[in-house]
Amino acid sequence: MEFTALFLAVTIVMLIAWRGSRTLALTLFAAVLLASVATYLHHATDTLKLSF
Amino acid sequence: MTRAFAVTLNALSLYAVALVLAAAFAAQLLLHELPCPLCLLQRIQFAVLAIGPILNVRWGPRPGHYALSLLAAAAGAVFSTRQVLLHIMPGDAGYGTALLGYHYYTLALIGFAAAIVLLAAILLFDRQFEHDDAAKHVAPGAFATTAVWLVIGLTALNVVSTLLECGFGACAEDPVVYELLKRGI
Repeated sequence: MEFTALFLAVTIVMLIAWRGSRTLALTLFAAVLLASVATYLHHATDTLKLSF
Repeated sequence: MTRAFAVTLNALSLYAVALVLAAAFAAQLLLHELPCPLCLLQRIQFAVLAIGPILNVRWGPRPGHYALSLLAAAAGAVFSTRQVLLHIMPGDAGYGTALLGYHYYTLALIGFAAAIVLLAAILLFDRQFEHDDAAKHVAPGAFATTAVWLVIGLTALNVVSTLLECGFGACAEDPVVYELLKRGI
């Protein structure tokens, strides 16, 4: 679900960057980047299934 | 490098991102290989990478817009490096099909690294950032406009595809079926 939300957020930021306010686009860009890094860090702590 | 030429290069970079997103979709639909969570995160970073060029096409080239793309490419490189390292052990077959001898995450790492180098290279040309009234109000042409809408459309398609794949819960680590289609919703 978090990946769907991230794709949706990126689509919205793209639309704002193209049609809306530049400042808002920059702010939302920062939020999306932070959210994607947070998602990565969340998954980076998953237990690895090693095969040896 | 003039502003107009820089905008054309930014439009070309949007076509390149569109090509990456379309190729990922082609692999997903034609080879029936569903993207894993880390794969999705790398796709997201390719889409985030496009926000800088969109701003450059809309508002004119600015160093800050290139900085956004550099941040996105750096994050994407970290994500793809993580997946390369997950499959680096001898005997590990890797995740998904290899294309030209490389798995998608390895190609993604090469793509993000290339983006960082190209962004640094384009930042060397200061003339694109010079303001003059004539250049300030030039509306983007059809070539650039098409590139922007192509990337936005492909990213929107990823919203639908990811929703079908993951459903309303957490994405499977090794997805083989579309969660929403499996449940018959």
